[in-house]
This record gives sequence, C-alpha cells and structure tokens, in this order.
Amino acid sequence: MKFLRVNMTTQTVQYQDVPDAYALVGGRALTSFMVSEEVPATVDPLGAENKLIFAPGYFSGTSLINTSRLSVGAKSPLTGGIKESNVGGTVAFSLAKLGIKAIIVEGKAPSDNYFVLNVEDENTASLILATQLVGERTYATTKKLHKDFGAGKSITCIGPAGEMQLLSASIQSTDLDGRPCRAAGRGGLGAVMGSKGLKAIIVDRRGKMPPELIDAEKFKKASKRYAKDVRADEFSGEILGEFGTAILVEPINAAGGFPTNNARMGQFDGVEKISGETIARVIKERGGKNKHKGCSQCIIDCSNEFVTKEGEYVTSSLEYETIWSMGGMIGNDNLDAIARLDFLCDDIGLDTMNTGAALAVAFDAGYREFGDFEAAIALVEEVAAGTEMGRLIGNGPDSVGKHFNHSRVPTVKGQSIAAYDPRAIQGMAVTYATTPMGADHTAGWVVDQNLEAFGGTVNARGSKGQVEISRDTQIHMAAVDTVGICDFAQSGLATEAGIGNVFAMMSAKSGQNYGQEEWTELGKLVIKVELEFNRQAGFTSADDRLPPMFYNEPLPPYNVVVKVSDAEMDSTFDF
Amino acid sequence: MQVHVKLYGTLPKLYLGDYPKTGLDVAAWQGLTVAELVQLVPLPHNQVAIVSINGFLAKAADAVPQNAQVKFFQPINGG
Ligand code: SF4
Repeated sequence: MKFLRVNMTTQTVQYQDVPDAYALVGGRALTSFMVSEEVPATVDPLGAENKLIFAPGYFSGTSLINTSRLSVGAKSPLTGGIKESNVGGTVAFSLAKLGIKAIIVEGKAPSDNYFVLNVEDENTASLILATQLVGERTYATTKKLHKDFGAGKSITCIGPAGEMQLLSASIQSTDLDGRPCRAAGRGGLGAVMGSKGLKAIIVDRRGKMPPELIDAEKFKKASKRYAKDVRADEFSGEILGEFGTAILVEPINAAGGFPTNNARMGQFDGVEKISGETIARVIKERGGKNKHKGCSQCIIDCSNEFVTKEGEYVTSSLEYETIWSMGGMIGNDNLDAIARLDFLCDDIGLDTMNTGAALAVAFDAGYREFGDFEAAIALVEEVAAGTEMGRLIGNGPDSVGKHFNHSRVPTVKGQSIAAYDPRAIQGMAVTYATTPMGADHTAGWVVDQNLEAFGGTVNARGSKGQVEISRDTQIHMAAVDTVGICDFAQSGLATEAGIGNVFAMMSAKSGQNYGQEEWTELGKLVIKVELEFNRQAGFTSADDRLPPMFYNEPLPPYNVVVKVSDAEMDSTFDF
Repeated sequence: MQVHVKLYGTLPKLYLGDYPKTGLDVAAWQGLTVAELVQLVPLPHNQVAIVSINGFLAKAADAVPQNAQVKFFQPINGG
C-alpha cells in the first residue's frame, strides 16, 4: 500500500512507500502516530505546519463487514489538542481498494484558492483548481463533482463552515447513495481542511486491489464467524435496522441522562415525539426509508432516509446524537425541524453536536426561548451567511458562552458533550473529562455497563468502578478505531469467541501472533501518544475536568451531581 | 393490583401474543419485584435489560408499586 502526500503550498502530489513503522496499523493509530511524529504540538492548527491525515482502518478493504471507517486526524482548532474523528460512507473502502493507506495533506494553498484532490488510482492523483465550488454547500458541491467527474465517485468535502474555518466545521463524506450525509464531525477538522484550501477529495470507487493478507483463508473464516455473530445479535441484527440509533432516545431518557434545555434536566417532556419508535413509524408512514445502508460493507443498515409529509427527501442518517442535540438539548420536540437541522448541518458542513450545544447555550443565555426551532433553523442558516451571530454559533458552545458571558457551557477541552448527561451516567463523566479528544462519547461509551442488567453493573449515579470501566473501554476503543470496525458492529467482538475472531484476523493480516495482550498494548500506545501530544501542546490535568455546572447543579429527576473526584479522574490513565 | 407495561424497540414483535399498542395491563401483587414482573410477561426474558417505573430506573429487586407505569427496554449498544 502507499501513502499519498499532498502539498497544498506547492500543489504537488506524491505517492510514497509506507514506512515499516506504520505497516501494521491503520485508522486512529496511524493518524495519531503520524500527527505526533510530523506536527509540532504547539503549531497553529489552522496554519501551514498542521497536517490533515485521512486513513482507512487497518481492516478496511478486506472482506470483513462494517469496516468502511475513515479516520481523520490533525491538531484540532477546537480543542487545541490531537484529534481523530472517523466517518463511514464509501471513502475508506474505496481508498483501501486503490491501495492507499493514508492521504497526508500538508502546507497551505495561497489564500482564497480552493482545490479538489482527484484520486484516480494507486498511481494517479492530481490537485485541480476549483474556484467554481467556493462558497458551495456540500450537497451542491457533491452534485457538481459527480457531474464533472462521474456519478460513482466517493466525495469527501467541506461546506461554507469549513471555508470560513469555523471551529465546529465538519468534513462530510458521501454514503452509498452519493449524498454527503456522513460526517467526521468532531474537533473542527473541516476548518483544518478549509485552512489548507482543500474543498474536496474525489476517490474512484472502482479499485480492485486485493487486501494485504498473510493468511487469506484464516482471515476469511474469522471474518465469516464475525459477521454471523453480528447478524445473530438482536441489537445489531434487528433493532438498528428497524429503528436506527434513535432507539436510544427512550432508554437514555428513562435513565434521566438525556440532556435537556442545555442540560438543565435529564428528561425531556417531548420525548415520545422524537423517540426511535416514533421516527421509524413516521418514516414508514411517509414512504421514507428505515433500514438504510449508509456505508460500504455494512450488514446492519442503521441509516435512514427522512422525508416530508409529501414524501420529499429531507435528510439521511438522522442519528441519535443529532436527535438529542437538535431536539432535547434545545427543548425542541418538532421532528421535522430536527430533520431539517440535521440536513442543514450536513449541507453547511457543521458538527450537529457542537452546533446544537452552541444553540442551547445561546437559548440558555436568553437569546431565544428553548423550543424555538424556527430560531434554531434561522441561526444555523446564519452560519452559512457568515453573520456575526452565525460565526459565534459556528465556533461552538465556548464561543457563544463567552459572547453572552454565560457560564453554563457543557464542553470539555472546548468540545461539547454528547447525548448522555455525565451526572446520570457517571462513567461518561470519566470518558468526557479524560479522553485526549475533548468530550467525546465514542472514545469510551460505557452507557451499557451503567444501565443494563436492571440499573447497571456499576451504580450509574456513583463514582465507584467508573474509572475502571472507562479506562478499559477507552483502551479497547482506541484499538477498535485503529482496525476501523463500525461501533455498531461491536456485537461481533462482545464475547470471548468474538474478540478471538478479531485477534485471528489481526494475526492473519499481519503475520504476527495476536491476542488480548497485544490488543490492549495497541490501545494503550495510541492513548499514550495522544496524551503526550496534548501535554506538549500545554494540556495539564486541570484540562481533564468537566465544567462546574456538572459538579454544582443537581440534575433532575435524580438530583445528582458528578461524584467522580479529581484524583479519580487523574488515575484514569495510570499506565 | 395492576401495573401497566409498555414495550420498546423490537420487544412488541418478540411478545408472544398480540401486543396492544397502548401497552399491557398486568395483574400483579403486593411486593412483586421487577425481576418477577419481567418473568410474568411472555417475552424472551434475556431481551429485557433496562426497566423504568414511573419515570425512574428500577433494579431487579425493587418492588413494583400499584398502578405503576412500567417500561421495558432491550440491551443497548452505541458509540
Ligand atoms: S451500522 Fe450504520 S454507521 Fe455502521 S457501517 Fe452500517 S450504516 Fe454505517
């Protein structure tokens, strides 16, 4: 496989052999190792010295299901630390099938010049001036690029938010229908892409490069067993296809962990109007699509297609986190407005979570009433228009809080929390506070341990055992994000036999012995490298804290605050 | 004594019988626990992982009060 290095300053591209040190990793390990190696930790994230790295997971391009995950890494302009944000769609599989292990974008184009990178095959790529795309939203960008370069291409692009280098700017990527509805949303990586003058990456989807496997037969057998387990599991085999990730709305709300009205409450009165069950029914009645395949190689189909009452397309992959951020978090129970806001964020190129939380902070500060979805839509439109208020929203909750001198800002390291209140599910307090990524639920999702088995295998509203489960999950997830398995296909590795299949595939692909010890060491190494980058960037343990609102304000209905102490937080990564 | 049970996710489909859209009225008794209530409802019981009573999460040994509004949820996954 090859690296594709793209220098935006000189507008040159170069294919390179992959150094041995990177041969046996992909995804998050690859982006974090390379950022740590090649980007000085103190650089301006929007300057020429930062690098933006796109890396398919280690298993992307193989026969294993649900492995079309692309990790995007850089120094984040939102958090000021290292960032990995991953996205599904078709791009990771397509790049792997062209034999490309990573695209490394460096330098910076002369200001106001925007280019598209056209990746045609394992030897041919070029930068093309794309003046006609400046200011275009992502759906229009994708449409134009499909017209000019071919309808079958995978497109990864930014919208106006990325061009304006706003801190909540996402990188959007096309799904199997060619719509830019999949997002590497977190950390403002769209702003990094915008700062480089890169509007889009076009990737040919016809690559046929066989995966590099030392023992192809062993890999095939283990990947089949893995797929069988994912199909057999009720959640991944049935529930996600029928309801999507929105199925989480009701149980998280029941647990009092659905942050509502800027996390003033843990339960939302309007929950039934926006629940997974309701969304699935509405989509069905209107002739939209439940059980929609969003990503290459997927057998779960958690995506959906939301339509108007008249049956017209509104948005795709309307997910739990967005239903929260544009729903309960801003006090909005209007499902059509949530879907519209999801579409607008995808189209303008914005992280739905950071944007919803920014709106929530503005509403909380009295700028508008909670529940005013028309104001929310108008404000998100203002982001694209580049008004002063639009830029505040587009720069995320911290910027809004500062503007209104309002202290209730639910962020860690500048990034908003996700759809789980850390007071009601205290394992998430540990993950949000300590992950090198800023408040990021995917870095260590411990909601199941906090709620299942009738109230959790740990006490969700206490601190005992939370550090341990968050630590173990964060280490595990650093390895999962390296191989590039979709979070929702983790049912395949939930049992001892299941994780054994992953180890068998690691051995079969790398030719090295692989077991639990190696897996854990890989996860630990990724986190250590990320923590060291952040330390050099100036982070201290004081940054591994939640904002005061979570320690001081009891959350109804349980009226609890975060109980995990600073010392406990600081013991999370004691390896 | 009666309690009202609503099923979420694919539980209505997994219910052995016709599941009324408004939920089930289950005949119960004083001191009935959550774990016992789950056993009373004809379902694959390993598919019930989270139970709430009157808007609060319940533990397996919790008693179910009279006229309780109970919700059954399945194991969850996410990230
Ligand atoms: S389960 Fe959802 S996110 Fe995962 S690969 Fe399938 S469509 Fe993509």
